[in-house]
Amino acid sequence: MNPKLTDEAVGALPLSPGREELLEEIIMSTPLHEAGAPGATDARSRRSRWLVPLVAAATVAALATPLWWGEVTTGGTAEPTAVESADPGDSGEAYRVVLDAPGWMLETASVEASSAELTYRRGADQEVSVMWSEEDSYEDYLVDREHITDPPSPGEPIVVLGRDARMWAYGPTDHTMMREPQRGHWAEVRGTGMDRAGYEALLARLRLVDQAGLESTFSGGFVASGAHSEAITEILHGIGSVADPVLPADVAPGSIASDQSDPYHLGADVAGAVACAWLDELRAAHRAGDEDRAAAAATALATSRRWPVLREMADDGGYADVLWGYADQVAAGTVPRGYRQGLGCPS
Amino acid sequence: MREFPEGREQEFRRLYAAYFDAVLGYALRRTERPEDAADVTAETFLVAWRRLPHVPPGEEARPWLYGVARRTLANHRRGERRRSDLGARLRRELPAALPDAAAEVVQRADVTAAMRRLSARDQEVLELHLWERLEPREIAEVLGLTTVVVRPRLSRARARLRELLGNEPEPLGHDLTRHPIAHREEPT
Repeated sequence: MNPKLTDEAVGALPLSPGREELLEEIIMSTPLHEAGAPGATDARSRRSRWLVPLVAAATVAALATPLWWGEVTTGGTAEPTAVESADPGDSGEAYRVVLDAPGWMLETASVEASSAELTYRRGADQEVSVMWSEEDSYEDYLVDREHITDPPSPGEPIVVLGRDARMWAYGPTDHTMMREPQRGHWAEVRGTGMDRAGYEALLARLRLVDQAGLESTFSGGFVASGAHSEAITEILHGIGSVADPVLPADVAPGSIASDQSDPYHLGADVAGAVACAWLDELRAAHRAGDEDRAAAAATALATSRRWPVLREMADDGGYADVLWGYADQVAAGTVPRGYRQGLGCPS
Repeated sequence: MREFPEGREQEFRRLYAAYFDAVLGYALRRTERPEDAADVTAETFLVAWRRLPHVPPGEEARPWLYGVARRTLANHRRGERRRSDLGARLRRELPAALPDAAAEVVQRADVTAAMRRLSARDQEVLELHLWERLEPREIAEVLGLTTVVVRPRLSRARARLRELLGNEPEPLGHDLTRHPIAHREEPT
């Protein structure tokens, strides 16, 4: 294993020839044109979806007609229990995993196009974290989990939702399992604050769902497909009730887009785009030495604490606070650093 | 997209000089073999060279480079072959250059052992916080997340580590007077 050196110690290593040769090799041997570097993505594609605290409204009630009941067996010896009804995964979309157990509340959900992290809670001490992601990252995660124990362990074989999985214990009341990829996605479920029997009982209450099934477990108020444009216009109209103009002159309202169905996500997309536009305007005005433009941008950002969409979102998560933090820096006379990353500005 | 009045090559040389130690350090702290760390470093800077107009200016380049290194590392862990033959000399030099028992390490062995008992997600945010001294905004940039997601994750991870160790570990080995690192308070 390599020693975990500090950067200062790395800087003191006698590597000058190798370091210089690599620099020259990169500069000399690589075409200058823009390459589609496999390791890098642009800001837009790296932008993640916002954490959605669903608070009390998101009780995940047991459905009257389960789409797919999970089963869990240990050691691969027990027979899976019968499937109650049709597996919605026939469409290839049912790789999303939800917990369907009485008393458990969905607390947060961070959902992206092909991955997600959901947190369920029961009482003060019990938490279940559900995660899924694309197949190509499975081996990475598996190797990491194999190091939960010392010495490393491949984990105990179990079957979850009809698929082979492996289970590890962080401690007597803290377990996790990784389910092998199915339909291009693997899943992990970690339960803390319960013993092994309690954890396994919860694994048996998992369900595979498609996107619609996932959304059905969320609270109400989702924006229907086809209604996004209208919802965005409504949010901009609300901002316009306290800010005039809503956007800098060179930014068209029609350029603001979002395909988010969750109102919190949608609000973050729209309010974030407006704030980003004004922060960009402020930065450009400062660079141009245009005090009037800078003042107009600062005035617009100062209204953000009264934007209805942010006030509605404020109790549900941190996005509004983060945005207002940047507005406060502007009010204090500075151009905030790193706001494009912090707010996830559209590129 | 950035432009380079002094020339692209000059800009890259500056970036390389400023962050080579940081990228190689990041890679060394996460790989088993020095040769792998050399490969990750070479590929990370190759990506930076090719995508130089996309590299953020100033200190924000550091988390951007870590983000690239992180994905390169993931490719290595999947057993992908190196994409280039760059850095052959660095690959040869690095094993011999590494001290057997380094005095300047980022943390105590017991902290490393405790961190291994955390989930990979918790480990990763803690490593970026304790080893790279990144603030939540920068960790978010490396991981492709937002600060809203990173803050509670880091907080939970620190709490779990405290439970395992019985105290809060202090990062070791960084002489802040030699290598000042800004600790700006995040807007909240």
